Amino acid sequence: MATPVMDKAQATATADYITATFRIRRFNPEESDAVIWEDFQITIDPKERVLDALHKIKWDTDGTLTFRRSCAHGICGSDAMRINGRNRLACKTLIKDINPDKPITVEPIKGLTVLKDLVVDMEPFFQAFRDVMPFLVTEGNEPTRERLQSAEDRERFDDTTKCILCAACTSSCPVFWNDGQYFGPAAIVNAHRFIFDSRDEAGEQRLEILNDKDGVWRCRTTFNCTDACPRGIEVTKAIQEVKRALITRRF
Amino acid sequence: MSTDTSGAIDGVTLYDVDNPAPVIEPPRKRTKKTPKGGGTNFEMIAWLFMRLSGIVLVVLVIGHLLIQLVLDGGVSKIGFAFVAGRWASPWWQTWDLVMLWLAMLHGANGLRTVINDYAERDNTRFWLKMLLYTATVFTILLGTLVIFTFDPNIS
Amino acid sequence: MKIHKYDTVIVGAGGAGMRAAIEATKRSRTAVLTKLYPTRSHTGAAQGGMAAALANVEEDNWEWHTFDTVKGGDYLVDQDAAEILAKEAIDAVLDLEKMGLPFNRTPDGTIDQRRFGGHTRSHGEAPVRRACYAADRTGHMILQTLYQNCVKEGVEFFNEFYVLDQLIVEEDGVRKSAGVVAYELATGEIHVFQAKSVVYASGGTGKFFKVTSNAHTLTGDGQAACYRRGLPLEDMEFFQFHPTGIWRMGILLTEGARGEGGILRNKDGERFMEKYAPVMKDLASRDVVSRSIYTEIREGRGCGPEGDHVFLDLTHLPPEQLDAKLPDITEFARTYLGIEPYTDPIPIQPTAHYAMGGIPTNVKGEVLADNTTVVPGLYAAGEVACVSVHGANRLGTNSLLDINVFGKRAGIAAAEYSATADYVELPENPAELVASQVERLRESTGPERVADIRKELQETMDANVMVFRTEQTIKSAVEKIAELRDRYLRVSIQDKGKRFNTDLLEAIELGNLLDLAEVMAVSALARKESRGGHYREDFPNRDDVNFMRHTMAYREVTGEGPSAKDSVRLDYKPVVTTRYQPMERKY
Repeated sequence: MATPVMDKAQATATADYITATFRIRRFNPEESDAVIWEDFQITIDPKERVLDALHKIKWDTDGTLTFRRSCAHGICGSDAMRINGRNRLACKTLIKDINPDKPITVEPIKGLTVLKDLVVDMEPFFQAFRDVMPFLVTEGNEPTRERLQSAEDRERFDDTTKCILCAACTSSCPVFWNDGQYFGPAAIVNAHRFIFDSRDEAGEQRLEILNDKDGVWRCRTTFNCTDACPRGIEVTKAIQEVKRALITRRF
Repeated sequence: MSTDTSGAIDGVTLYDVDNPAPVIEPPRKRTKKTPKGGGTNFEMIAWLFMRLSGIVLVVLVIGHLLIQLVLDGGVSKIGFAFVAGRWASPWWQTWDLVMLWLAMLHGANGLRTVINDYAERDNTRFWLKMLLYTATVFTILLGTLVIFTFDPNIS
Repeated sequence: MKIHKYDTVIVGAGGAGMRAAIEATKRSRTAVLTKLYPTRSHTGAAQGGMAAALANVEEDNWEWHTFDTVKGGDYLVDQDAAEILAKEAIDAVLDLEKMGLPFNRTPDGTIDQRRFGGHTRSHGEAPVRRACYAADRTGHMILQTLYQNCVKEGVEFFNEFYVLDQLIVEEDGVRKSAGVVAYELATGEIHVFQAKSVVYASGGTGKFFKVTSNAHTLTGDGQAACYRRGLPLEDMEFFQFHPTGIWRMGILLTEGARGEGGILRNKDGERFMEKYAPVMKDLASRDVVSRSIYTEIREGRGCGPEGDHVFLDLTHLPPEQLDAKLPDITEFARTYLGIEPYTDPIPIQPTAHYAMGGIPTNVKGEVLADNTTVVPGLYAAGEVACVSVHGANRLGTNSLLDINVFGKRAGIAAAEYSATADYVELPENPAELVASQVERLRESTGPERVADIRKELQETMDANVMVFRTEQTIKSAVEKIAELRDRYLRVSIQDKGKRFNTDLLEAIELGNLLDLAEVMAVSALARKESRGGHYREDFPNRDDVNFMRHTMAYREVTGEGPSAKDSVRLDYKPVVTTRYQPMERKY
């Protein structure tokens, strides 16, 4: 059964390894206050992930290289970083897709305090998330069985339920780079998820929170967040929908 | 802002495990107190104003440019008499007044958001905005004054 | 060293930990210690669904669910616990829905349900639609929903605090939990948490395998901490190999794919599961399907030039159905394999997935010090624990159920215990063991490297104690692990710093993996039968006469305090059987 799939499989089996240069932004406050760019040359299968390359460097060359990671397949959101100037998850970016002929730059996401190498302080990011009341609020007595919701009502907010809180969107936003007081796309996405949930009854409150001077009105519709989202959420659209809801008070 | 320069001089570093360097802070970090929630709709109104004034301004400004620069012999026709003739009519007075106010407010608000976005220090931001507001108010008042007090018979 | 005092401390912030935290925070002053940020936990990687006999789409009842769980676990399941699991499943799902979980819906607006492996109607007659789901992101939704509710309840989290030691103090001849010792990743500081009760919910230990669906961070930290302090580990030889991991990478492709109609095919395009499980076919239980895949591969019917995988075929399903029901896994195939699942089959192989065994607990989540004695103040729930509801093989969707049912139970039980109990006095120097361990690793100049030892461990585990095992392979694994444990004593790390020293963290994690791999191999060697996830080619049949019992592995301490020279001592615990007598297991 010589299917095209098998040809691809064969290619993987007898992989042509390449030599790629990873230019990584290093910062270790225990050694120096300086930021340096360090080059690592490694031989690796181009079909591997950037995360695999970072592991290879950490495990074989320099154990001090520090980054967060966990699931390694784009579900946990630990390893958002700026790769070749774009926010991505290291575990969802294959080396072959980012032109390994040139040095591949890897740096921490922007707008958050850099603590060491690629590790940033996520606390302000989660603070913004917590500030939008990201939980279902209902009134009255609970039903004995589940609350009913039509498939269409469920579909209304499906896109924003995909968020994994990796901060790729928020830290790609130029407004956020300069002003971390802005709620940022991720917090708005998570507010959207509840504002448009037919079971929820605190939409007005959340809208008021986002009507703040650091709320949705600071969005400049640059679409960086939509481009950055590793889950394919239409982030900018969600922000626009919140703006519209604020003006029309219909959601 | 991060500094991409070397802090260590001649390979001697001031920092070690128990005495670490300061971490690289971004400007204006969110804190637990951050959502101030003024309870006003000002930002929403400002945002809406930008969209609506923009649409109106497209008509006003393009109309203005057409009249001034293209129709009836173009720019060469403009002189004291031309202005005097136009401002004799309340229609053109209103046109120019609305255009002045909308353009100034639109531009000022745009610049305000730019200052808010990019001026990192509270003090800088405050004084830049003061400067902006003063200039805006001054220009609007002066322009309004001129439109209403224009005297074609000035010697 | 800092000392904190809390009523209840929860270790781990995955599904079970956060479910426990929601209950415990309402009732007591609670702290949650987690190695990762809460939403990074591996619960989020679960895809297919959560079983509960809601009967929203077809006739079902919890008693059938109990039977399926017992049969799926090859009768090694404690049936009292399985009954609780199946009965409380219904409320567990409804609780989550009320917390806001966006389940897929039926046309009537109720929670939709799909088929899943091993879940049947009328005791095995035909597949039943029992798994409640949210596309193929059920685990993600559960994790997010639980975190959202933790925010709502104001749960106090200590993020990136790595628990390294369990403090056990003997009071009046009873071993009690006094608290835990944690290492703060951000600063390298050691924190002692004195607590009236401690709940372990720290997840699995799959990272001692190479091809695994588990996260890099699943290194059995909770199991190892308890085991080092003389507590037993139950049924560690039972590990589930999920049939459909992405070839070579191990990334999970949900059983829901087969629930939606996906078919496994060998190189001849044959639907081979028809041979092995005539009734349930591709939806037989996971151990059966994984063995069938490897049988095909061994008999030369595997795909690819090396014949080392088979195909998961979704091409006959309409693209709209794939988009609506399986969006994430189809994206995995595109991202990692460059394959379009609409038109091409996906190469898969079994992947190490889930530890059925763990810290033994009773149905309240209380940890057992031996077959019957409870350790006051110590609880466990989720994959780290062994209740045992999964027996020798867990049914798909029962783990998301386990974390919710027993996470809730453990959280309530721990908080209620905190309300009545007093603090147990801390030992003289509570952080001693952790401090010396950290110090030793930081200062070691030995020639061995963490990455090398881990790689060899993973390779030997994959080769010798995976789907098929024999006395010979297990013995070679035991020898190899002993060698690696010896080499581990001479391991050194490059990062000598205190801040975010992930180099140090990985070294400590490796120590845990080595301990647990040894327990697993030794337990597997002693079980001379085949049951569920444990398949011995030299003993291919189930032996209810000699092995209808749980393995209890204890650390046999040779010197003073835990050391790498310690060995494993095995004991056994009877299985609780209520309604269902063991029968032959056929699908």
